[in-house]
Amino acid sequence: MAAAARFFIRGANSKLATTNSFGASLLKLSPSCSSRTKTQQRHAAHFTFQPDPVPTQYGPTQKMNLFQSITSALDNTLANDPTAVIFGEDVAFGGVFRCTVGLRDKYGKDRVFNTPLCEQGIVGFGIGVAVAGATAIAEIQFADYIFPAFDQIVNEAAKYRYRSGNMFDCGNLTIRAPWGCVGHGSLYHSQSPEAFFAHCPGIKIVIPRGPVQAKGLLLSCIADKNPCIFFEPKILYRAAVEQVPVEAYAIPLSQAEILQEGSDVTLVAWGTQIHVVREVAAMAQEKLGVSCEVIDLQTILPWDVETICKSVVKTGRLLISHEAPVTGGFAAEISSTVQEECFLNLEAPIARVCGYDTPFPHIFEPFYIPDKWKCFDAIKRMINY
Amino acid sequence: MAAVKSVRKMYGLCFHAVRQTAGLKWSRLLQQRTFRVSAVHQQQPFDSTLEKPQFPGASAEFVDQLEFIQPNVISGIPVYRVMDRQGNIINPSQDPQLPKEAVLNFYQKMTLLNTMDRILYESQRQGRISFYMTNYGEEGTHIGSAAALDPNDLVFGQYREAGVLMYRGFPLDYFMAQCYANADDLGKGRQMPVHYGSRDLNFVTISSPLATQIPQAAGAAYAIKRENLDRVVICYFGEGAASEGDAHAGFNFSATLECPLIFFCRNNGYAISTPTNEQYRGDGIAARGPGYGMLSIRVDGNDVFAVYNATKEARRRAVAENQPFLIEAMTYRIGHHSTSDDSSAYRSVDEVNYWDKQDHPISRLRHYMTARGWWSEDDERSWRKQSRKTVMEAFERAEKRLKPKPELLFTDVYEEMTPHISKQRESMWRHLQQYKEHYPLDLYDK
Repeated sequence: MAAAARFFIRGANSKLATTNSFGASLLKLSPSCSSRTKTQQRHAAHFTFQPDPVPTQYGPTQKMNLFQSITSALDNTLANDPTAVIFGEDVAFGGVFRCTVGLRDKYGKDRVFNTPLCEQGIVGFGIGVAVAGATAIAEIQFADYIFPAFDQIVNEAAKYRYRSGNMFDCGNLTIRAPWGCVGHGSLYHSQSPEAFFAHCPGIKIVIPRGPVQAKGLLLSCIADKNPCIFFEPKILYRAAVEQVPVEAYAIPLSQAEILQEGSDVTLVAWGTQIHVVREVAAMAQEKLGVSCEVIDLQTILPWDVETICKSVVKTGRLLISHEAPVTGGFAAEISSTVQEECFLNLEAPIARVCGYDTPFPHIFEPFYIPDKWKCFDAIKRMINY
Repeated sequence: MAAVKSVRKMYGLCFHAVRQTAGLKWSRLLQQRTFRVSAVHQQQPFDSTLEKPQFPGASAEFVDQLEFIQPNVISGIPVYRVMDRQGNIINPSQDPQLPKEAVLNFYQKMTLLNTMDRILYESQRQGRISFYMTNYGEEGTHIGSAAALDPNDLVFGQYREAGVLMYRGFPLDYFMAQCYANADDLGKGRQMPVHYGSRDLNFVTISSPLATQIPQAAGAAYAIKRENLDRVVICYFGEGAASEGDAHAGFNFSATLECPLIFFCRNNGYAISTPTNEQYRGDGIAARGPGYGMLSIRVDGNDVFAVYNATKEARRRAVAENQPFLIEAMTYRIGHHSTSDDSSAYRSVDEVNYWDKQDHPISRLRHYMTARGWWSEDDERSWRKQSRKTVMEAFERAEKRLKPKPELLFTDVYEEMTPHISKQRESMWRHLQQYKEHYPLDLYDK
């Protein structure tokens, strides 16, 4: 499976002599980049990144994009935990998205190393490292290529503690993977597979919306005593820049964050899609006079039922939006839970604005994604219900 | 030489980094065990002036004749043997010369396992436990390899390695508790029978998905290498499991990442009903080892001393050199695959009888002991009686014991009890209060 990605890397390199990494080349071509020729011209960015307020409680901060904040989290971990190791395909030279740049030189090649090209091996190996008591941070090059490791994640990692009666566990394992659409990633460089894993008791699934959350949530995943999958929205690797604390800090798992208070509709999303619904909230206010409460779910499993339900009790309306296909997507889980918990408060059917039930297409991406117009229209219909 | 030097330099840096960080949390982590620094394992330096292939992917000469490499399956890797079927040492230089007590212990552990197998197999036939898998014919591979290990060495198994636990002193009560899934089961009654595990005995809990433990063993061995202690990991699997993708992953990872690991393949001729000629076409599993750059050997799995010697030497070198070893123990699965299988549907009784009566690891060791006057008919009779009695006693204790409390259905999914699972637990209890007559609550601990 990853062979396809490797082929892609070579192709990208030969065309773009300026870069030696696939991630960089993907993002160079991405809409936020200014050097657009006619042949490369693409649909305008489907979101606008909004930096968080500068966090003051964790000491000095530094301007970082998302990939740099990941590196910073990994750096803090390797410095504080001598058992911690980082491994995966091409992580030694810095990774195809530059997330591990400099770490091998700083901490040694026995702590930051390449593995053979084999995802089931990477996750199996990581479980073993964790079972032996050390901290394992595995990288899967694209979330699209995590499926060869599905057995190791679902049958092994998730069930290790339970099946052994808590004699053995792989709680020290964290799997990181680039995630989500990127403008032109097509079928195998765009997927959002969180719902496949949400059906699996025993693991945690976490997705940040920007550099500050990425570092805090990743450090929480690494410290958590359960196997975690951490999905990094790759379209934000370079596009999202904000002030990030230099020292280690933690953002708690299984806690949604209310980014904007509102009274008419609750909007729930995660990852890049948060920036879409934030803009939608502004549009709804401006064009419809509708006050939206925007919530970043952050942890997909185990998710924060309480925060979402509290909000819906207040607003009476809920819109959930994700890039992944609608059928069996995680919005279905949120929707049915909220319907159970908030039946008497709901004033309109819960809306799901998601990807269509197709594979993620190449040239049709602008039509596929649940952009702000699709979300806006759903709010309009919901308000008029 | 330049390459070797620069590699040394890199390792030097890595030692330096480790020293800097050592002692923060993990005081045991002192310094790396010797990494192999061998030019053979490095990509060869590029030199365009040489009249030899410069491909980075292999170190080889050119040839000017078209010739495909022929696999050698007719005359395969030889089977290492220490004693013959009558228990005579064939080559004295290979005699491990174990003291009488050690050999008696081997024999008693093998036969105790055999007795336990018979009783638990029968108990499944009577519907007293739900499932069982015997170890008939493979007792020698378990005991011989377990004896060659240090008790601290971490074991990853498949499911037909109960003898390793037996050798390490896992109490009969725990074997039974697991099969009965009673309140004494260390696994809290959650897994099917024979899925044993023991933290104290460094035996990682068995799981049903085949071969998943193989890359995990590589990871554990890597972590153990970094701990810099005198430990190895051993990983058992059948020849059928070796066809899984995870086996390929584990072999390749352990070689490239230089893990102190012993892969122990039990080649017993069958994966349920599938004979080896439908499992592979190469020279068994041992022949794959060199393809991964792994030192490999094939041993007679019915010869406990051959297994012992091979494992002992593999362990010594794996620790010293941080590299994986592959041992393929040739044996025969005398019993059915499991209690859900009738093997007469796909193989002849004569075939099974040959291995049971004429080439069995237990009878071979008994010949050896008898020849030395270490074991008599009387000893045999009284040991049989005694072992049967101990097994039966444990069996009866296990059967009487209640099942674990239903509460344990919900714990250990995560380290902590999460709100959503806690809610489901309360919901179950509410339900049980109202409908208790429809559930077997009296069989479970309160």
